Amino acid sequence: MKRTIAYLSLLFIVGALLYIANPNYGLKFGPGGEDWLKYRYTDNYYIEHGVEEVGGTNIVTDIVFDYRGYDTIGEATVLFTAIAGAIALLRPWRGDGK
Amino acid sequence: MNDGDMGVIVRTMARATIPLIGIFGAYVVMHGHLTPGGGFQGGTTIAGAGILFLIAFGLGEMKKRYNKNLYSALEGLGGLVFLGAAMLGIGVAFFYNTLWHNGPFFNGKPGTLLSAGYLPIMNLAVGLKVFTGLVSALTAIALWRRWKE
Repeated sequence: MKRTIAYLSLLFIVGALLYIANPNYGLKFGPGGEDWLKYRYTDNYYIEHGVEEVGGTNIVTDIVFDYRGYDTIGEATVLFTAIAGAIALLRPWRGDGK
Repeated sequence: MNDGDMGVIVRTMARATIPLIGIFGAYVVMHGHLTPGGGFQGGTTIAGAGILFLIAFGLGEMKKRYNKNLYSALEGLGGLVFLGAAMLGIGVAFFYNTLWHNGPFFNGKPGTLLSAGYLPIMNLAVGLKVFTGLVSALTAIALWRRWKE
């Protein structure tokens, strides 16, 4: 019973997401022309001003390390925590020696 | 075949390719502000060289070369260098690229290697961090042999 409800709700969520992803009602894929400046003005700003404001010719690195550096700090922290947790869990257990 | 190392062909090929993978990874990290790639991607590439060393030469050889304290210290150092580079322009704002706007170095023309302010420093720090972290994690996994033989 519970499992049936879970699958039905999963089906409903997938249907709703498919409805949203339909270009006639919701998201538009590959905006160009006027839609570019209407929906992607932030990207346009980065592409136009990235090189002069940050200095790197790789716009992705400019965004990731300068404009949105906090996100990269969080990402590095996630990596650090994941590795610390993995190593902490994989230590030998007490009485595990030969 | 002792302690899980591969045959002589694999070991010879690993001896030839590990430096190449390392150099390519270092190239990706160093040119992170100019070409696709950067700290995370290049760090993973160098960690791939470390994992190739681990599986080609076996766990016994890796235990001799791998120093847990050094690798954890280097991972922390990478994070600290990243934060320090972010703090350089703390007089204006956190993550203010002061090396690029009025710094003594790393302020060449865009497209040259010594440009882009703190971006190369951050790429090196993140590359070091990712490389040491992944090698530590994979070595810990390889050392974890608790299944019954």
